[in-house]
Amino acid sequence: MTLRRLFALSSLAFLIVLAFSPVKNALRPYRALQRQFRVVGIARASSGKAAEVYSSRPIAIQQVWIPELNNRVDRCTTCHLGVVDAAMTSAPEPFRTHPPTFHTPRDVQRFGCTACHGGEGLATDEEDAHGTSADATSPILPTEFIEAGCGRCHDAEAVRDAPTLSAGRALMTKSNCFACHKARGHEDFRADAPPLETLSMKTGAEWLRRWLSNPKAVDANATMPNFQLTGDDIKVLSHYLFARPVPPQLQHAIELAGAEPNGDSARGKTLFAESRCISCHTVGGKGNGSAPELGTIASRASRGWLIAFVRDPHAFYPQTKMPRYSFTDADVRDIVAWFEDELKDFDAPADILTPLRVNQTFAEKGEKLFKSAGCFACHSGVKEGERFGPDLYGIGELKATSLDFGKRSDLPRTLAAWLDAKISTPRSFASGLKMPTFAFDAAQKRAIVTALLAIPAIPVPDAYRSTPVQQAAIVPAGPVGEIMTRYRCLSCHQIGRAGGDISTAPLTFEGSKVNHDWLVNYLAVPYSIRPIIAERMPVLKVSKEEAGKLADAIAMIYVDPSTPDDPFLGRPASDHDAAEGERLYTTFGCRSCHIIGKTGGYYGPPLTETKARLKPGWVFRFLQNPQRWRADVRCPNYGMTDTDALRLTAYLETLAEAPAVPVAAAAPARKEAAK
Amino acid sequence: MRRRSLLIVIALVLVATSCRRANRPASAVAIARPTQYELRLGKEVYQSYCIGCHGDSGAGDGFNAFNLDPHPRDLSDPVFQKGKSNAELADAIRRGGAGVGLTSLMPPWGHTLDDRHIDAVVVYIRSMKR
Repeated sequence: MTLRRLFALSSLAFLIVLAFSPVKNALRPYRALQRQFRVVGIARASSGKAAEVYSSRPIAIQQVWIPELNNRVDRCTTCHLGVVDAAMTSAPEPFRTHPPTFHTPRDVQRFGCTACHGGEGLATDEEDAHGTSADATSPILPTEFIEAGCGRCHDAEAVRDAPTLSAGRALMTKSNCFACHKARGHEDFRADAPPLETLSMKTGAEWLRRWLSNPKAVDANATMPNFQLTGDDIKVLSHYLFARPVPPQLQHAIELAGAEPNGDSARGKTLFAESRCISCHTVGGKGNGSAPELGTIASRASRGWLIAFVRDPHAFYPQTKMPRYSFTDADVRDIVAWFEDELKDFDAPADILTPLRVNQTFAEKGEKLFKSAGCFACHSGVKEGERFGPDLYGIGELKATSLDFGKRSDLPRTLAAWLDAKISTPRSFASGLKMPTFAFDAAQKRAIVTALLAIPAIPVPDAYRSTPVQQAAIVPAGPVGEIMTRYRCLSCHQIGRAGGDISTAPLTFEGSKVNHDWLVNYLAVPYSIRPIIAERMPVLKVSKEEAGKLADAIAMIYVDPSTPDDPFLGRPASDHDAAEGERLYTTFGCRSCHIIGKTGGYYGPPLTETKARLKPGWVFRFLQNPQRWRADVRCPNYGMTDTDALRLTAYLETLAEAPAVPVAAAAPARKEAAK
Repeated sequence: MRRRSLLIVIALVLVATSCRRANRPASAVAIARPTQYELRLGKEVYQSYCIGCHGDSGAGDGFNAFNLDPHPRDLSDPVFQKGKSNAELADAIRRGGAGVGLTSLMPPWGHTLDDRHIDAVVVYIRSMKR
């Protein structure tokens, strides 16, 4: 009897132990969710058959296994059951359909979930999967920074449909982050901060003191951050900078320029406006802002330095984006005379440009500080493979528990909060930290944190990586290349993937686009093609000879072989019926954006002079697909037939400005209009 | 004996059911609001293609609006918003004014933007309601 009882008890105990695992499994929250999903699904099902599918769903763990993507196993769809189910749009979480993106729903099986979202793919309960605890290996990306997920595979600076990530990456480049920090793809980064050799002849001790204590307060366009230097730091640095020898040739040029007679300020003012300097600079905050503010330039730089610099910026600052205008000596004197008359800080002390008398002991201390504070990283360049700050490899996947929060006990223990504080107030973590302070606003900070979170610990395999083809701009060697370098075409225009973004007109296929003769005239005396855009082609004073050489080269090199010379060739006359084209112009509503004659909208370029400016083959191809050459072109694709495109081309090619306005007379009128 | 073990099993099942109720996640509440990503994408599209005529706030006061007759629609108008479904808004964007019996000055965007972008911009337009 005792034995039997013992046997019964032990088998019961055995049963309980055996039951433990299935019972625990039965109680897992995902099972309840999956049952709930059946109910939601049946309620939302459009037909009995669809309801059947929901009700017969097995209760089981779902997973996406991707061996080729770092052996990823994502079980997120165990709870997020409606991810690719269109019937679950705006269903209660966790069943809601994934918002449509380029990759969802089509690539869910290829990427899984955690490749973009982070989180622990293997886990099947919410807390572990989302990594909400501080010691989680892989916490889920907060939705605020979700575009960081795009950046794990997409290496390009600008990523389509990821505006925050793209802005963050561009801002990091512009802020010279990679001058101090090593990061994949930026190993060869060189900051383009100006060399400081001529500083002692450019500015005074008081201006330099103001600049070093807070560059942004002196010039809102400044890219130099605030190094939070003490009064003593500023003193010794100033002595060092004023002690640096000026290269003899530049010294000579500055001295000679300073001794020249005063120019004609009124003429200088006109020249300045005509030259469209504010396509890059600002005056009183008006202008593009990618180059220094000029509102108080005469209290920032000496007259001799300004004259010598504007005459040949490249001798002073080889990496500068500023073109070397073909001004005459008198032109530059006049412009600087206007600076001296009006672009001045009238509240500044009289000695703002008085140079410093150098004390050698201070200068030596300053030289040490120039190195230890990291000034050299932007101003003198760095040795190959060496960076001043810690490198950024894997920073986007650091574990929160591994971060040094130092004095910042106020921060939430998350990577995002840590990164945000690091770029807001980098020195608040401990004393003795060297990273300077950047004046980023909330949106900029969010963008940079997104870009940082996009830097993965383990790079994704090459098959998954989208790396843009690094296509160097084709700039011809020899005299044409020299002209293009002199006028810095690439500071504003794009050629291939290289170049600046100030101009909306890439030059990649310019030769197929515009007529040679028009281009020669335009280069010599450019005017505004898009009146709404403040950044206009500067009047660089290109000579007719240079303009001819440039136009020849552009017609030869920058061509799109798929653009026909004559789109009408071999087509019946009815296909290039201009009257029909004119009717289409009205039907399509082109006039909401374009001006012909005196009527039409201001959004696109006026079409009044199409015949002189644009080649018919290009117009035809553009009408077929306006986004053909540049994805962000605003002109809508009308999906028009080839015949319609041809007729419209025929109409536009009849448009020639009645009597051509003499350019010389037109220039001042445009200036008035710009005001 | 058999009855007792049966009782224990029943007790276990009961405990199990009650646990399940306690474990039912609280996160399953209905949300219909758009995700931040949709709003951001919609805003980007709007600011690239629509802002010139419809203006920053959707009031139909973009810098190009004064050239247009009829005037661009005030998208922030609550009456207008109430009267149009998302599908109707998307359709007007896709096929343009001429496509829905209105002015051809509003161009069709169906060949330029894909459905995803059009849906996102509709979401953004909804967020502009006064």
